[in-house]
Amino acid sequence: MTTRVHIGLPVPPRNHPALLRGRGRFVDDLPFPGARHVAVLRSPVAHGRVTAFDATAARADPRCLLVLGPADVAELTDPIPLAWLLPDQRLDHVELAVDVVRYAGQPIGLVVATDRAAAEDVAELVDVRVEPLPAVASTAAALAPGAPRLHAEAEGNVVGRTHFGTPRDRLDEAFAEAHLVVEREFGIQRVSHSPLEPRGLVAEWEPGPGLLTVHASTQSPHAVRQELAAVLRLRADRVRVVARDVGGSFGGKVALHADEALVCLAAVVLGGQVKWVEDRVENLTAAYQGRGQRTRARLAVAADGRFLALHADVVGDLGAFAVQAGSGPLQVTALTIEGPYRFPAAGGTVTAVCTNLVPVGAYRGYGMQESTFIRERLVDEAARELGVDPVALRLRNMVEPGDMPYTTCTGLVYDSGDYSAALRSAARRVAPPSSAGPVRRGSAVTATVEMSGFAPSALIRQFDIAWAGWEGVRLVVNHDGTVTVHAGVTAVGQGIETSLAQIAADGLGVPLRWVDVRLGDTATAPHSDLASQASRALVLAGGALLRAAARLRARVLGLAARALDVPEADVVLDVPADVEPGSPEAVFRGASGVISWRELAHRAWRGWHRPEGVERIRLEENVDFDPPAITFAHGAHGAAVAVDVDTGVVTVEDYWTVHDNGVLVNPLVAEGQVVGGVAQGIGLALFEEVRHDPDTAEPLSTTFREYPLPAARDVPRVDVRHLCTPSPANPGGFKGLGEGGAIPPAATIACAVAAAVPEIAEVLTATPMTPERVWAALREAGIEGSPQWTER
Amino acid sequence: MNGTARTARAEPRTSLGEHLRTALGLTGTHLGCEQGDCGACAVLLDGEPVCSCLVLAVQADGCRVETVESLARGDDLGPAQRALLEEHGLQCGFCTPGLLMRMTHARRTGAPASDVLGGHLCRCTGYGGLRAAVERHCAVEARKEDQP
Ligand code: FES
Ligand code: FES
Repeated sequence: MTTRVHIGLPVPPRNHPALLRGRGRFVDDLPFPGARHVAVLRSPVAHGRVTAFDATAARADPRCLLVLGPADVAELTDPIPLAWLLPDQRLDHVELAVDVVRYAGQPIGLVVATDRAAAEDVAELVDVRVEPLPAVASTAAALAPGAPRLHAEAEGNVVGRTHFGTPRDRLDEAFAEAHLVVEREFGIQRVSHSPLEPRGLVAEWEPGPGLLTVHASTQSPHAVRQELAAVLRLRADRVRVVARDVGGSFGGKVALHADEALVCLAAVVLGGQVKWVEDRVENLTAAYQGRGQRTRARLAVAADGRFLALHADVVGDLGAFAVQAGSGPLQVTALTIEGPYRFPAAGGTVTAVCTNLVPVGAYRGYGMQESTFIRERLVDEAARELGVDPVALRLRNMVEPGDMPYTTCTGLVYDSGDYSAALRSAARRVAPPSSAGPVRRGSAVTATVEMSGFAPSALIRQFDIAWAGWEGVRLVVNHDGTVTVHAGVTAVGQGIETSLAQIAADGLGVPLRWVDVRLGDTATAPHSDLASQASRALVLAGGALLRAAARLRARVLGLAARALDVPEADVVLDVPADVEPGSPEAVFRGASGVISWRELAHRAWRGWHRPEGVERIRLEENVDFDPPAITFAHGAHGAAVAVDVDTGVVTVEDYWTVHDNGVLVNPLVAEGQVVGGVAQGIGLALFEEVRHDPDTAEPLSTTFREYPLPAARDVPRVDVRHLCTPSPANPGGFKGLGEGGAIPPAATIACAVAAAVPEIAEVLTATPMTPERVWAALREAGIEGSPQWTER
Repeated sequence: MNGTARTARAEPRTSLGEHLRTALGLTGTHLGCEQGDCGACAVLLDGEPVCSCLVLAVQADGCRVETVESLARGDDLGPAQRALLEEHGLQCGFCTPGLLMRMTHARRTGAPASDVLGGHLCRCTGYGGLRAAVERHCAVEARKEDQP
């Protein structure tokens, strides 16, 4: 059993002092002075046929080192295979060589030149002709009769469909009999991850050994490595991907993008180092985006307030083509539609549609932000229509601790937690607001359940996803007594390296600073397909690490017993809190005397003291952890808002969160994750939206002025509380928390706006709730502003 | 440049931020947007905070430039760095260098925390620990520590 000394302490992230000194190692900071620079050639139109690619003038420029166009790419690469398809999906790869472009910003080719400015100059000399085709800028346009068809493999622009949960005919029956049916159409906009560090990579090809080394700003180096090997037709063992500091990711850096593959191709063609760091315009217009769905959903309620049925008919916008897990978020919306409530019948139907917009992939909250928004708004509307308290209605229908493990209609198995306790806790703290004059105030609470620690591999296989769910660690006690953790999960600013160090220190019973954590290099990190996404890093790598530490601790105690010539049970490890690993005070004690930790480590690596017949020498443990089940975190959020009826401006004045993330390893990191997630949720709720021209599908959000990120003034102080129901699904009792903060804010804020202005509650079904939309809804509902404004 | 005279050639079109990072090898200053929107690139030019993505390198000829690399004294972090460390005012750390320079300027001039927070975007922290750190750093009492 692990004694918790460091687990549970608010330890400041160990990489922060270096970052604060300006000694970060982000891709663009890496010292590759000899690297040549790439400018990517992109489609200026959203749909069109590439009719000419003439690089004669570009090649004549002395600064130009290489130009690659569609023909070169076709000859030298294979497409990127997809990992998660819908059952009938025929679009199963990302094309790199394009003769038809399907979004404005899609990479067509690239140039390499002596420096970045030169590359941009030379790029302008390449004559790319694209003959425009009619474009579709929304799923509605894509599904309209006579719409231009984007792919031969997608009839009617439908890429695939599926249904989870209660069959549709049984759902229809349940709705037919209900006392009350609330039905609405919901809209969730496209958003941009906008990490402050854009994507970027430095690729180096060594022609002699035939080795490709790629330094990338990525969440998933192993996945990128596999994809690069496939695309560039290289052996897997000739590709190494390294992620150092990553300046935020949020799901935007989980998969190899086409432009990144082209940069690596350029390195292979040229030899040596080639570098590309996208600029902000590229990040906003060409990097994969998140969300984007229109969903018709209905909730059936009995006269006594019991929920009878829930159905969401999700129409999702995949963009120009399906990316590696393109339909994943839509499928998760359907799977998680029930949330924390009991339903005799519930289900989700998914229709994935292609449009001439930027492809869509993972974004923090992955389908669950969407399902929470849809469900919680319906529940709030039901309470309004029934004239009952929305909190009471929620509590009446909640899955209770005694129901665990609880299987939803869509087949998810909730493992643990007290959902009602979280909601009650949030509801107690939300202060009743007061309205005055042209400012109306309201508050609300909502509840959610969060899939976390996405695994086990068998379940992922059931979903037909071509990835593994397990995570591995390698824990080493080095010959000098220091301790190193290697894990497949990655550090992207969330603080995982610090949490893993805390776990390793407690697992071995040594001081925290003895432990170093090395992540992100495929040459040394255990394999991992999914790495740090889906709120899984701590749950899975943490679980593996606890097991590894228990085994390694048992081994060193056994070796110490042999060194001291005493029975194993009589050996105690005695390490004062502040000593170094080489200290003579850090010792194993037995009746016969002591041996220092360092001396024992040193001898162990020489092969001494091992029992006869034991071949194992290296003082390291490799553990692969594939848990028995997904673990579900849950929580409740409360928001108090002010709605200015003159301007339509919604201000979030107070915000409260209650989460059950099981055992917290580092409360500081946990709180940071929650608050950061809430801020992203507020942005999505109120103003973040990637816009495109409705006719040409060309991007309109190209800078942070058209795509404003939440600023300090937009985010109130967030009150963060945690409950703790340890997860039964992993040795540490951990539950994931990377996404939980981002999931409920849109739902909670919309319900609070509805409470402030019930007259417009019915139409609060789409985000973002911008001033113009809220203002229009207020006027539509006959709410006039202050007289001095309305008179003019 | 951070207290030392440095000479390096710059193309007329090169921004100060890029020049610092490439010609002078000072990669602590980050470029998040190159359009004056995010504040990650802020440095002090003759003591005033500027977005180094909006200033040309040639405009800084003969000026005093201070960057994040100047804030620690040996092993000891400076006050702005300590405030961010202790209040968990950063996560990925990409926005941090510019923020530190604005905090440093605010402490010297008595500018309020809201001035600092108004000029910077952070995508990670939700401004929780970050706001606490900036407020602590800019508080009147905190400034007394700086008096000789
Ligand atoms: S890089 Fe200068 S303000 Fe963003
Ligand atoms: S800490 Fe990541 S952007 Fe601020």
